[in-house]
Amino acid sequence: MNKTLLANIDDPRSADLDFYEQNGGYESLRKALPMDPGVIIENVKNANLRGRGGAGFPTGMKWTFASGDPKFPKYLVCNADEGEPGTFKDRPILEKNPHILIEGMAISAHALKSDYGYIYLRGEYPDARVILEQAIDQAYEKKYLGDNVMGSGKKFHLSVHVGAGAYICGEETALIESLEGKKGQPRLKPPFPVSVGAWGLPTIVNNVETLSNLPLLIRIGPEQYAAIGSPECPGPKLYSVSGHVERPGVLELPMGTSLKEIIYEHCGGIKGGKTLKAVIPGGISTPVLPHDKIDCPMDFVNMPKHGSMLGSGAVIVMDESVCMVKVCLRAIKFFEHESCGKCTPCKDGTGWLRRILARIEQGEGHKDDIDLLVSIAGNIAGKTFCPLGDGTASVVQNFVKHFRAEFESHITGRGCPF
Amino acid sequence: MIKVTINGKEIELEQPETILKAARKAGIKIPTLCHHDWLKMYGGCRLCLVEIEKMPRLQPACSFLVSDGMVVTTESEQISAVRRGVLEFILINHPLDCPFCDKAGECELQDAVYIYGPSSGRFKEQKIKHPENNTDPLLARNMERCIACTRCVRMCEDVQGAYAIAMTNRGDRTLMEPFSGNRFDCEYCGNCLTVCPVGSILSRPSKSSYRPWQMDANIATVCSYCGVGCLLNLQVRDESIKKVIPVEDAALRSSFERFGPGVAEKNTEKNLYENSVENRKSLNRGLLCALGRFGHEYVDSRERLTSPMVRKNGKLVETSWDEALDFVALKLNEIKNSSGGSALAGIASPRCTNEDNYIFQKFMRGVLGTNNIDSTARLGFAGAQAYLENLMGQGITANPISDLEDADVIFVVGGDPTIATPVLGLNIRAAAAKGAKIITLGRAAGLGRSKPKEITANLFTENKVLERLLALLFSKKEMTGELPAFEEKLKAAAAAPPAEKTTEVTGVTEAEMAEISEIVASAESFAVVIGSDIVQRAAGHCGLFCLAGISYLASGRIFLLSDRPNEQGLIDMGCLPDRLPGGQSLAIDGFRKKYEEISGLTAPPDKGLTLFPMLKAISEGEIKGLYVMGENPALNLPNWPAGDTRKSKIKSLELLVVQDIFPTETSAMADVVLPALSWAEREGTYTNLEHRIQVLRRAVKNMTYGRDDWRIIAEISSRMGTAMKFSSPADIMAEIVRVSPVHRDLRYPDIEKGTMLCRPYKGQPSKSQAGGVVHGEGFKDLIKTCDRPGGSLDDKKSMHRDFVLLLERSLFYSGVTSRKTPALSRIRPDAAVLRMHPEDAAPGLVEGGRVRVSSPSSEETLELETVFDSSVPRGAVKIPEYLEDLGVGALSLITNLPVDPVTKAPAFEECRVTVEAV
Ligand SMILES: Cc1cc2nc3c(=O)[nH]c(=O)nc-3n(C[C@H](O)[C@H](O)[C@H](O)COP(=O)(O)O)c2cc1C
Ligand code: SF4
Ligand code: SF4
Ligand code: SF4
Ligand code: FES
Repeated sequence: MNKTLLANIDDPRSADLDFYEQNGGYESLRKALPMDPGVIIENVKNANLRGRGGAGFPTGMKWTFASGDPKFPKYLVCNADEGEPGTFKDRPILEKNPHILIEGMAISAHALKSDYGYIYLRGEYPDARVILEQAIDQAYEKKYLGDNVMGSGKKFHLSVHVGAGAYICGEETALIESLEGKKGQPRLKPPFPVSVGAWGLPTIVNNVETLSNLPLLIRIGPEQYAAIGSPECPGPKLYSVSGHVERPGVLELPMGTSLKEIIYEHCGGIKGGKTLKAVIPGGISTPVLPHDKIDCPMDFVNMPKHGSMLGSGAVIVMDESVCMVKVCLRAIKFFEHESCGKCTPCKDGTGWLRRILARIEQGEGHKDDIDLLVSIAGNIAGKTFCPLGDGTASVVQNFVKHFRAEFESHITGRGCPF
Repeated sequence: MIKVTINGKEIELEQPETILKAARKAGIKIPTLCHHDWLKMYGGCRLCLVEIEKMPRLQPACSFLVSDGMVVTTESEQISAVRRGVLEFILINHPLDCPFCDKAGECELQDAVYIYGPSSGRFKEQKIKHPENNTDPLLARNMERCIACTRCVRMCEDVQGAYAIAMTNRGDRTLMEPFSGNRFDCEYCGNCLTVCPVGSILSRPSKSSYRPWQMDANIATVCSYCGVGCLLNLQVRDESIKKVIPVEDAALRSSFERFGPGVAEKNTEKNLYENSVENRKSLNRGLLCALGRFGHEYVDSRERLTSPMVRKNGKLVETSWDEALDFVALKLNEIKNSSGGSALAGIASPRCTNEDNYIFQKFMRGVLGTNNIDSTARLGFAGAQAYLENLMGQGITANPISDLEDADVIFVVGGDPTIATPVLGLNIRAAAAKGAKIITLGRAAGLGRSKPKEITANLFTENKVLERLLALLFSKKEMTGELPAFEEKLKAAAAAPPAEKTTEVTGVTEAEMAEISEIVASAESFAVVIGSDIVQRAAGHCGLFCLAGISYLASGRIFLLSDRPNEQGLIDMGCLPDRLPGGQSLAIDGFRKKYEEISGLTAPPDKGLTLFPMLKAISEGEIKGLYVMGENPALNLPNWPAGDTRKSKIKSLELLVVQDIFPTETSAMADVVLPALSWAEREGTYTNLEHRIQVLRRAVKNMTYGRDDWRIIAEISSRMGTAMKFSSPADIMAEIVRVSPVHRDLRYPDIEKGTMLCRPYKGQPSKSQAGGVVHGEGFKDLIKTCDRPGGSLDDKKSMHRDFVLLLERSLFYSGVTSRKTPALSRIRPDAAVLRMHPEDAAPGLVEGGRVRVSSPSSEETLELETVFDSSVPRGAVKIPEYLEDLGVGALSLITNLPVDPVTKAPAFEECRVTVEAV
């Protein structure tokens, strides 16, 4: 498959506007501007584009809700917070191919009749900020942004807003709070951002990768687009692979490529010829899979059938040397640090889980502790305000489910066997 | 129509509501913690999760709206487990120091755990520690107990509008913190304290004193500070007020909310709850301000007057009641017999009850034979009120405060309502939050967050602005013909001077005036809020006239601010030189006859002197005896005649009688001092600024030898040969309702409901007077006097310069009772400070440098520290009113203020002082 999202990123000029234009850049925007906004939304629906931020929500449906709201202006927000551990798939777009995102946003803004856009950028991507801002300046100069986009009369202004390093700010309503200058915590839904978002106005939040799909979708049309990858949720997909593989990195593959193929064909297999122990397939919040359960198509529809989720497509590969209790502890430490403190189960439960896990890891666990962990996780799961807490619970539940023996040996052996 | 099924019960609703509300309608209780009825939805604690058919996830009842056909289950195995789980989580980092916690017994967490919680926890590790923070003088923070419900923050932001606190940190380290760090830099309303469900925010004055169940009594009464008249619950133990909470909160605590339907039915306080729910719509809605909540310690002050005193050989010495009363009766008789009633005068008190004030004027008129009765209400409220009523009819200011919240345009003129009447200020903030446009003319910093349209006029040129606005509005609005006489005057006044001149004088552009008049003209529900600053002008009544006109043309309602609890009542009781109770003009024989008939005494027919002429008459020796009830004129009033020094007896007075609860600068000069009862020790009624009459209840026994104000006067009256046979305030009210048409048919039991507005028209209308009273002679001339732009004093800078003296008002100050309350003294910023515009500073005068302030007319001077503040208008200096803490009234510097010819209020344009560096 030809790369589009990551096209030419190995060329040092890839972030430059002239280079992008020479390779057909902004032609899709030129094609989209005369199109009726409603038709573009129809195309997105027909292409069955699903949000790449993690939840896989059908983008066309979100856009229909937003465009149906009579309030103006509408804000288009690109979620570039990319905070899920293991995830770095948006980064090459932001740093190497920024114009595909800008073009995608301009097309989306036209479809959504939005005049103002923000890129909410992860605070830990300082280079991306500079690159994006330069790219935006170039786009303004060439009238791809501004009061009169490519002479069409369409207005679209875009700017970068840098976050302060909170994972929760990747959640769209917390992101909006943060954008408004408040503490990043999720809001009650309903009302959903598409009707009451930033500063009370309709706001469409989409992931970097989602928006970057628009130029391709417009160029080849919904039918051809829908023919790429899984029929249920088609299109190109970025997978960020890290851990014990020979060639970690970001891959652009058709949606639905199997996890096994990703690890063994595209990443050269397990590093140093060791054996695989487990894979976290979609970012730390998605359920861990043991080595024998990786023959599954990596898309939003099929992963749940195989006991996990696609999430952000962040594949974390762990070989035989890895201690699962330690990984679980590390993950829960992350969630403890990132719990926003809004709702009781996540706020207080996560710290409790961490303390028990730390105890087990240090060989001070008690035989009841494993059941206690499962019970606490059960009291968190499904009871929290936002999905962050569910992620916490699911990590503990799945690690214990698949690797209970390792937990037990930490307790009985009074320490880590690795 | 929406049909939902909750636990098998079908409920029909008119519109979508939360599951919680729908369940309550069906008598089903769902436990909550972060939810509070007065606050925005939140959904954080997760205690209220319920099952909804066809929904995979549990949903929070407090913040999930029902939809048609929804089937909800609120009790099940799963839900019980969820509740146990949530409470277990809360408790893992909770110190569980209930035996030591002030909140125990009324703690929502304790109650929730008692009913729904796990009987034991499984947590074995270290709890997170946060040492209790007692840096703030009033609010202690114990963040170990905090459950991060954010009720305090939502209260502070969304209701109080102070934005003083926030949740900081994340996860289980989350806690509430003031933006200012350790100390609160806030309005100290304590409303966050009301809504905190646990013992995380505590009132330091009442901390570690008594537990809720140890209180002897909870007395619902009315606040004694400002004209809003908030309802309070005094929690009393051992004849001392331990804590003040809003009545609504008390009711909520003892109601359904806490114990579920079964208990609420039996609860004796259920009625109180229902009443308070009704009142919530109208009065303080469970909110208080710093004065109401923390301003009660003075009741227990050791400085209280404890014995009558009579001046002997130049010194005040303690005597028996008999001796003191006999002495007063004798002296009053002497003066009356030798010089006639007109040589006597009385100053009544807006802090005394209606009943006290009724007896006061009855005594002055019927026994002493004088109409020389006035009060500090003359400083603004009384004159303004009378003038507005004359123009537009009696009761024109009797508008429910709650109406403000529904207004879409509010014009705030002459002061900061969030300081003069703090809880009314919240209604304005609430209106703004709902989208109302606020326009301000004059200082109103407390409305800053409500994004007001601020009209910044040159000092003392507000009348010019108002005049222009009136003219512009006149051209946009039709007159209704409702008040023909007033309309005639409006027509005359609207023939306004040309715009350029207005702009030149006021500094406000014509475009701005046009914009504002357009906002007013297009208002659907308009309100005018009038503070005393606009009244205290040489031509204050001109401004009032324009405001009345603007309100009339835009079909608005007028709210006249009052920073005293019973200014309206005092007026209604006839403590005025020209009016009998019920606002009846003394000049109308019929009214006087009726008054005499019912009261059984004769009233002199001629108008008495208003406050400032009264003071003049004292210094000129025409008035020989002055009777002061509950007031401190030597400090509160400009123009108070000086003695040798202000601290010693005024030479020209033969008799000065002072009735008070504290020794004051005035009582120090008195011949006789009579100790009275404080607000918490007596009964009676107050009438607030919306004319609502409410009952004051006795909460504590008097520990001094003080007596009711009305009883003292009745005693003197008998000793002078006129018996006043009243046995209780209710008894006095029985006479009041016969004398005063606005109180007709009121009975104590009705008043106790707190829903009675004393409006006219219920009895004999005085409406026929509307518009009939002469507008201040030479209105046009008076407007001319406004031409003098007060601020543009000569520009040459010198060490000696004349400045206009402005008083800086404080949220934490209101007269002597607030001075004698340590809690309030602790939060008042430094008093001995003078603020001036930096560009006004003479060379050599530096920030922090000391200056001497003096006035040509007074021997007294003040030494203060300078603070540069560019919000002070050029040509003016600001001195805190609570300078009185130091025993000096800023106003006492001033002895030659002119008064408005119509309202007889003092004119602060002339309040000039000299400021020099020392
Ligand atoms: C805890 C949490 C963190 C999230 N972080 C991200 C993120 O870093 N980037 C992102 O695009 N979406 C993130 N999301 C998903 C967003 O809430 C939202 O669904 C997404 O931005 C929508 O875009 P899409 O429809 O294009 O996927 C997160 C969600 C949760 C609950
Ligand atoms: S689950 Fe609750 S505490 Fe955790 S991040 Fe979401 S809202 Fe915040
Ligand atoms: S006392 Fe009032 S102003 Fe101060 S923090 Fe509490 S709610 Fe806010
Ligand atoms: S201090 Fe009280 S009201 Fe504020 S968040 Fe904590 S528990 Fe809630
Ligand atoms: S009361 Fe509903 S979530 Fe707290």
